[in-house]
Amino acid sequence: MYANFKNNIDLFNKVLDGIWLRNKVINHNIANADTPKYKKLTVSFEDKLREALSKSDSKLVKTHEKHLPFPVNTKDIQPRIEENDKFSYRFDGNNVNIDTEMADLAKNTIMYNAVIDQLISEFDKIKNVIHEGGK
Amino acid sequence: MGMFDSINISASALTAQKTRIDIISKNMANVNTTRSTGGMPYRRQMVVFEEQRGPSFSSYLEKHTNRFNGKGVEISEIVEDTTPFKLKYEPGHPDANEDGYVMLPNVDMVTEMVNMIDAQRAYEANITAINGTKSMLMKALEISRR
Repeated sequence: MYANFKNNIDLFNKVLDGIWLRNKVINHNIANADTPKYKKLTVSFEDKLREALSKSDSKLVKTHEKHLPFPVNTKDIQPRIEENDKFSYRFDGNNVNIDTEMADLAKNTIMYNAVIDQLISEFDKIKNVIHEGGK
Repeated sequence: MGMFDSINISASALTAQKTRIDIISKNMANVNTTRSTGGMPYRRQMVVFEEQRGPSFSSYLEKHTNRFNGKGVEISEIVEDTTPFKLKYEPGHPDANEDGYVMLPNVDMVTEMVNMIDAQRAYEANITAINGTKSMLMKALEISRR
């Protein structure tokens, strides 16, 4: 039972780390909105994490020693930073769109607050068990 | 991964945009200055922004290890605009040449105004980013309050 709580807390930990990194990268993009030749950076981790969570039940079997390891463990998932240098619609070679960056920033902050709330409720559950179990 | 890196990144942009506004104010104040360094009219100045991202090797390494050590933006240099001076026919002016023309600074008031609005908006965007980061940090402190 306790392991279940711990798994959830580890998962939230991972998500919060990813969201925090994304906040930093968005701030970096906004700071460089007027820098010539700067290309915007993006952080992605949700799709990998979702994949790992949905496949954690079905254990993939390695039938060859050269098979790549499949990250079924959420601990192995690292956020990826990608440089988006495919396009640019300004003469100075910069491709930061300040409006989408501000929208992403707002989304990211709300997401962070939501995950923190869930994490707090997870701790509340443990606390509840400790308090009420003794009665 | 420092705790206040995000705020430092936005603060670097605030400094850069503030310097840009300072330079724009200087240009606007000197829009009619005919006597600057070397007896020439005032030349319009511009700031050059550059991404701050650590040494080149570590920025190459970070691309392949998914680490991030961006530090925001900085002003790498302040350059002079080399476009020619404006000429104005004003024979009575003490700085007029033999044909009666005065050389005036290459400052265009409208361009400066537009650049100032741009800098102000960028400044505000970074203030919003700092406030967002602040609210996230305060929220994270709530975990330990229970």
